[in-house]
Amino acid sequence: MTFKDKIKFVRQNMKKNRMRIFMTVLATAMASAFLIVLASVGFGLHDTLLKDIMEQDTINEISIYGYENEAEYREINDQDISYFETLDNVRSVTRRNYLAQAIHYQINGFELSNEYSESQFVHFPSEQKAGMTLAEGDYPSKANEVVVGYHFVDQLLPTGLDPEEVYDEQGNRNAGTLFTEDIIGQTLSFEIEKYDEDDNVETKAFEVVVVGVTEEPSREWAVDTTIYMSELFQQEIEAFTEARNGNPYAFEVTDQEAERTYEIVKIYTHSLQQVEDLTTHLSEENYYAYSVANEIRQINMLFSIAKAGLIFIGTIAVLIASIGIFNTMTMAVTERAPDIGIMKAIGANPKTIKQIFLLESTYIGMIGALIGTAISYLISFAVNLGIPLILEAVFDDQLPEGLKFSSIPWSLVAIAITICLVVTIISGSRPAKKATQIDVLKAMRRDI
Amino acid sequence: MITVKNLSHHFEMGKKGQKTILPVLHDINFSVEAGEVVAIIGRSGSGKSTLLNLISGFIRPVSGQIIINHTEVSTFTEAQFADFRLDQLGFIFQNFQLIPSMTAYQNVELPLILKGMPEKDRQALTKQTLARVGLGQFHNHYPSELSGGQQQRVSIARALVLNPPLILADEPTGSLDSETEASLLDFIKQLNQELGITFLIITHDKEVAKIGNRTIELQDGKLIEGGQLS
Ligand SMILES: Nc1ncnc2c1ncn2[C@@H]1O[C@H](COP(=O)(O)OP(=O)(O)O)[C@@H](O)[C@H]1O
Ligand SMILES: [Mg+2]
Repeated sequence: MTFKDKIKFVRQNMKKNRMRIFMTVLATAMASAFLIVLASVGFGLHDTLLKDIMEQDTINEISIYGYENEAEYREINDQDISYFETLDNVRSVTRRNYLAQAIHYQINGFELSNEYSESQFVHFPSEQKAGMTLAEGDYPSKANEVVVGYHFVDQLLPTGLDPEEVYDEQGNRNAGTLFTEDIIGQTLSFEIEKYDEDDNVETKAFEVVVVGVTEEPSREWAVDTTIYMSELFQQEIEAFTEARNGNPYAFEVTDQEAERTYEIVKIYTHSLQQVEDLTTHLSEENYYAYSVANEIRQINMLFSIAKAGLIFIGTIAVLIASIGIFNTMTMAVTERAPDIGIMKAIGANPKTIKQIFLLESTYIGMIGALIGTAISYLISFAVNLGIPLILEAVFDDQLPEGLKFSSIPWSLVAIAITICLVVTIISGSRPAKKATQIDVLKAMRRDI
Repeated sequence: MITVKNLSHHFEMGKKGQKTILPVLHDINFSVEAGEVVAIIGRSGSGKSTLLNLISGFIRPVSGQIIINHTEVSTFTEAQFADFRLDQLGFIFQNFQLIPSMTAYQNVELPLILKGMPEKDRQALTKQTLARVGLGQFHNHYPSELSGGQQQRVSIARALVLNPPLILADEPTGSLDSETEASLLDFIKQLNQELGITFLIITHDKEVAKIGNRTIELQDGKLIEGGQLS
């Protein structure tokens, strides 16, 4: 019997009991739609999260937190930096240190306390190569020139202002408290302290000029209030404090601490793949290397588990639907026993009989799975459209853009159809086997 | 065409533990030559149908050999026997055994479908065979829309369509009136003469048995008269 004839035969048989077949297909479709929609939430949220990560500026960067082997732990030093710069695919290696004192800045009648701002010593050429861009002005060319973060100006308050008066009742800044002049060319004055063993303090006044403002960070919520100082200026401060990074307690510094090390070291590559490879490589060389590649790997693992769990729950629904298929096929075999008997009598091979019934249950499963897939695309679409509206109405809050609750990739469709087919074939196999065992003589006597 | 050697059969009945054995056939030996029409006659319950069912492979003998067309069939697996039936045997049953949900055409076409013949070839052959049994006008009739004689002709067409060398018939006229019976017997005779098909026909009716070139009689499971006696 040719495959085409088998299909034709199966379709004719299915037409004999449309209602029963329809209900069985419906149950299968609902089960597979349940499976797909359930798992699609895992896929959707995973996609959203990954997309979010991919949009970060940090996608091509690796943070290095130090070096540790069996013998020692140490911070990253100039030798390490030079080594990183020799590695393949490295675009830039940035290194920064914090100014190790709480500074109070004065700027043209305004002030800034260090609580709201960080002062960092940076290596501008590598920062530039790594992608630091300026919204205004230029990079420093002299020791006493600095670049400030995009939000730096917002942190400035008139000198001596009562903190109560900064905001009005609505929580907006009072107009008079804003620094409205051009920040470029302004002079920041501050004092650096230095203590001796007896707690005697010596102070020295410094002045720096703002020559540039960094670009606004690409993520809406990120705030950059940093004051970026050059390495030349770092040397001036260190000349006074006689300790690294303006540490005011020079007398406490050990030999080891006296070496030039960097607190914030980042390696920039060209692609996420390179980030992944390099992170692995550096970890193997005993550096503490962290990048989004690690994060992505963890997220992927977490979501793989979540997706597997959701698919498992969905599969239970398909298994329940398969009881219906089993039932339908058992009834079909019983009803058609006389016909099967005749077919066997005139020479139908038991294998053919089995294939016909397996084909019928597969057909039901297949149609069910396809209808289920179509339904789940509709539900998924509705969910992605509806849930944000509901959430926004309930919580009165704007949801992040591009948030997707449900996503149905082809792989999920393939998984669902495969599960459906496997389950239906299994549930159809017993009735099919029963069909092959029908006794010709009993069937022809019509007493089955 | 058929050789039956030392064929014995019994049925086991009852539940386990208290089984009773019902002997049906005792050491049957006979043979049928190609081109013959042989009638097996005997009273109801003498084991005729059992003998034919053994030859057809619907049941398996307790002991003995059956050779059809030079092939030892008694050792076949179920699947082998099915293929053999499709290739070599045609069947005519007392109550026709047509599939009620299929038209006359579809019933006759069924063996060709099982054989895996392409649709184009099937059409010509099915039409031709239905015409041969005189039912050229009844393609689209369902069995319930045909008389007993017409139904039996459809079943003969189904038996003929793959052109088997041997046709087995169990009480082929059992459900027909005497007039229809006569024309059916004539038709069988005609098929035997024109196509050279060998027939093994079972009947309890001495009149019907006259169609045979030769008659074999079964009495209580033993061959007592006919061509070759055991
Ligand atoms: N499947 C069966 N199980 C038990 N006994 C059977 C079975 N088939 C037939 N018999 C018995 O075997 C004997 C012969 O039956 P059968 O071959 O049908 O006779 P006939 O066709 O000559 O009337 C009868 O006694 C019948 O009751
Ligand atoms: Mg009988």
